[in-house]
Amino acid sequence: MTLPSVLYHCTCSNAYSATNAPPPAHLPSSSYAFHPLSTLFFCEECDLVRCNRCVAVEVSGYYCPNCLFEVPSASVRAEKNRCARNCFQCPHCSNTLSVVGSDPPPNPNPRAPPNVNSSGDSPFFLFCNYCRWDSVEAGMTFEKPTGLAHQLQKNEDLAPETLEFDRLKDHFEPLLRASLHSSSSPAHPVTSTPMNAITAAANSALNRDIPGLRRKGRGEKHNLKDEWGVYRARIDSANSGVDAEGEVDFLRDCEDVNEIAGLEQRWGSSWAHSIKANDLEPLRVPLHSKQSKRCPECRHILIKPEQKSQSVRYKIKLMAANYLPLIEIMLAQPPAQMPTALQQRTAKGRPGAAQGAGAGASGNVTTVGAGADELGAGLLVSGRTYQFQLAFTNPLYDPIQVRLSVQRAQPTGFTLPTAGTGTSTKPARAPFAISLPTTPFPISAYAEAWEYDDDDEEMFMDDEELEDIIAGREVGAAGGMGALRGGRPGGAGGSEKGNVGVLERKANVTKVGGEVVLGKDALGEIKFNMLVSYTYRSDDPQSNADDGSSAANTNKTGTGEMKTFSFYSVVYLGTVGPRGATR
Amino acid sequence: MALNFHPPIHYAKSEYIETDTGNKVSRRATIAGPQNIILGGKTIIASGAIIRGDLRRTGPGHAVVISLGRYCLISDGCILRPPYKTYRGNFNYYPMKIGDHVHIGSNSVVEAATIGNHVQIGKNCIIGKFTIIKDCAKIADNTVIPPNTVVPALALFAGSPGQFVEDLPESTQELIDAQTKQYYSRFQPLEQQQ
Repeated sequence: MTLPSVLYHCTCSNAYSATNAPPPAHLPSSSYAFHPLSTLFFCEECDLVRCNRCVAVEVSGYYCPNCLFEVPSASVRAEKNRCARNCFQCPHCSNTLSVVGSDPPPNPNPRAPPNVNSSGDSPFFLFCNYCRWDSVEAGMTFEKPTGLAHQLQKNEDLAPETLEFDRLKDHFEPLLRASLHSSSSPAHPVTSTPMNAITAAANSALNRDIPGLRRKGRGEKHNLKDEWGVYRARIDSANSGVDAEGEVDFLRDCEDVNEIAGLEQRWGSSWAHSIKANDLEPLRVPLHSKQSKRCPECRHILIKPEQKSQSVRYKIKLMAANYLPLIEIMLAQPPAQMPTALQQRTAKGRPGAAQGAGAGASGNVTTVGAGADELGAGLLVSGRTYQFQLAFTNPLYDPIQVRLSVQRAQPTGFTLPTAGTGTSTKPARAPFAISLPTTPFPISAYAEAWEYDDDDEEMFMDDEELEDIIAGREVGAAGGMGALRGGRPGGAGGSEKGNVGVLERKANVTKVGGEVVLGKDALGEIKFNMLVSYTYRSDDPQSNADDGSSAANTNKTGTGEMKTFSFYSVVYLGTVGPRGATR
Repeated sequence: MALNFHPPIHYAKSEYIETDTGNKVSRRATIAGPQNIILGGKTIIASGAIIRGDLRRTGPGHAVVISLGRYCLISDGCILRPPYKTYRGNFNYYPMKIGDHVHIGSNSVVEAATIGNHVQIGKNCIIGKFTIIKDCAKIADNTVIPPNTVVPALALFAGSPGQFVEDLPESTQELIDAQTKQYYSRFQPLEQQQ
């Protein structure tokens, strides 16, 4: 069950296309270009939305997710990105392990769990209180209950693959230093994945070994490659490594599949390790990081967390939710179940009382119409007309004017009728047609007072009406302009009055109605791209010289500087099931 | 961040007791040892929930066993039970502290030591003894968090045993703040019948 939703477009997916328009909603690639508003950032310099996929990420601090210790970056390297305190992961279930001591007297009840305190006697061992694995199984016991990580790391450091890797690193180190000096400005100044030294070295090695790549590489590097010796591995990998015969014998005698370590369990260690589940060793807990995020274009910081690892506050946090209006959608019932506009109006008065599609808490919804079940399941029926409502919430302290339009370009076979303007002229084979209000509608400014818990709406009524007079003025016009549509191809008698247009204005929320006419052969997901443009008065007169990349443009008007910002969103209305499946 | 289309959640007025500070506690919830329980205000305890305030630390005097912050929701069939352990040979219960804006889904069992602010816990979860859940973390539905686990801030945990899945968006705090407030205002009494 998927509820109707609205996702926002980030222009980063358009890096290689000429326009800023997102891919048509019905293409699979469309899902990569749209994100929930809460995950998006906003760069004030570029005046553009940024998403997690395009921002440049920098690590601003490391911490252990178990003991929450903030690890200084110097020790992160020495400790190989894992916690050096007493945090260990169970090799079987990845749960955190506890250090337990052995009980000196024999336990009268062998099934009782060991005492989970680090009070006890030597030898100490690690115990998983989820899957009951203990490190004695892997032949690991400890003299002291502290400093276990140190002992484990010593083992890790002496492993042949670690030694090999270190040697490899030493070998590449001089080249790396040389290449860093020679090319102080890398070809790609901005990469969202942090390019570390090892990757750089590997790239150079690749360039050297594959002649085709080398030609593409920069010429200045050419002389460096010759200074470089040949690397000889510590171990000849062809002749050593896993004891294959022993493994075959083990597998032949194996009776329980759990005796073999799973792929997930072995993923973290090298492939030379034994496949026996008994041989798995506890892992030190890998560190997590706090990240700051930058705009990929102008390098301005979008997210800068506080230093403390468990603080959820940010020194800088530029979320798109504070700039773009929040759009929420709800599908009203189909006209077949809702004969009059009157019912629509009552539903409007008590928001959601008659609408099953609104929320997850369906158990408590009082009046549920006949069509609510299929709406609740996100299923639409072809050949019908559905009304939907869009609620726009203005996060800005200035009133805004919003204009909506459906994206025109539909390059595959069918054309979407453009919003509201004579849908009858379009070919009847369009699987669905969308009607949206075409004239701009106002949304009042956001005011802190509306956030107060005790919502005495009457208190603000006067303010709001004032607001209408100051900013809105064409509320009446916007409300009445729903009936612009001519005869529709579907023609399934939706009421012509007031379903498309502004339905309600309250505080900084404006609700508008729209309509979708499903063709007879509509099938699959019904979603469309919607271009949202909003105009607001800009406070700061810094006109950041529209340098082409900006989607916003400014124009001087009599009332001060008005700015228009446009963004695309995809509106998902529901899914039309195959014929017969719903009835 | 308003949530405009969510319908009100109606409850029978007679079923819930509303306190001066706006807490709404179902008469069908089992509140053991109410003198040891603190509710921060505007917190909802749904029917069938069991809150064990009676499992207090041994010893004289008054002891807070379970404290809940503001705008919390303890859904149907939840069990809140303070964690216990035997330390130096003495069996004891330890207090449980839950922050503000914490929603716990239906039929979950919680024995955590500390739960931060703006934490979401899904349905049918088991939160093991002495678990520490930091601010803005989220536990997905049907997750089992083993005892003594630490869930870092802004982390999503899921599975059995509960594992780190991903970092939550930076706006989580505002989002949960709005959602929990919205939930409380949607939770409206219905006079009788219907």
